[in-house]
Amino acid sequence: MSASPIARQATNCQAIPSRRVLITDPSQMPDVYSSTPGGTVYSTTPGGTRIVYERSLMMSLRQSPISQTPPKCPLPAALLKNPNSVPNVIQPTAAQKARSNSISFDESQETFSMDL
Amino acid sequence: MAGNNTEEVEGSATTETKGTTNAEVPPEFLIKHPLQNTWSLWFYDNDRNKTWEENLIELTTFDTVEDFWRLYHHIKLPSELRQGHDYAVFKQGIRPMWEDDANKMGGRWLISLEKKQRNSDLDRFWLDVVLLLIGENFDHSDEICGAVVNVRAKLDKIGVWTADTSKQHANIEIGRKIKEQLGIHGKIGFQVHRDTMVKHSSATKNLYTV
Repeated sequence: MSASPIARQATNCQAIPSRRVLITDPSQMPDVYSSTPGGTVYSTTPGGTRIVYERSLMMSLRQSPISQTPPKCPLPAALLKNPNSVPNVIQPTAAQKARSNSISFDESQETFSMDL
Repeated sequence: MAGNNTEEVEGSATTETKGTTNAEVPPEFLIKHPLQNTWSLWFYDNDRNKTWEENLIELTTFDTVEDFWRLYHHIKLPSELRQGHDYAVFKQGIRPMWEDDANKMGGRWLISLEKKQRNSDLDRFWLDVVLLLIGENFDHSDEICGAVVNVRAKLDKIGVWTADTSKQHANIEIGRKIKEQLGIHGKIGFQVHRDTMVKHSSATKNLYTV
């Protein structure tokens, strides 16, 4: 797919490659939702389309501002590096009050639910 | 002439600054990159008052590269967990237990780490294993169920779980890829879950070795 920011610096700026496909008749439209006229965005692999990321690309995305934002899901405080940095922290004491949703870290709570 | 030159230099400097400001956020950083699969992050709590299954908690799911990093940046590394704790990353819908339908016929590539490797290798190995999984870096990634890291007093362990032990070719490809990516020089073994169930894991024989 796209090059990492580091790779880009080394190879100068490039426009995002694009291609115009002129559609003159509905019959020229692809028959599946995941496809765009002229081919799919992520290309295809033998046996079907699969989204593959090289380690280097994923490591560069680690620096993305989106990747730095705290997760919204509730997480137990014991697991967090810095419990103050995450909005939804499950405190052991808070867990004893008003617990209606699925994740419970309170042993007195017997209605621990798990999909079986 | 000299004055003109200065002006030109100043002018181009301004343009350049503007250019850099725009280029500061590369286009890759403006979007989330979808993963092929949705993955669940599990945590094993090791509370003695609870059963094994009650201790196993599905914390959340993620389906983009960025959402994985959001979690990773905010939760403890395996080396920072208490002994007895586990993390597991599995395809959504597969529970990190032998009994799950997706694991019944399966096994795991097992990487055992000596205590001294907890500081040097454990976190790096775990991250690289998870990236291999969520980036679909195996030729037979359909065979992948998930991965587990066990933080233990004796040996820390990382296991990559696959679906069908009879698929020799696929399992060996997966084992080789893990070994190559992590830079492991020794041998790693593949164990059948049904064997691990009846024996202590260190006594379980290897079905495959790479």
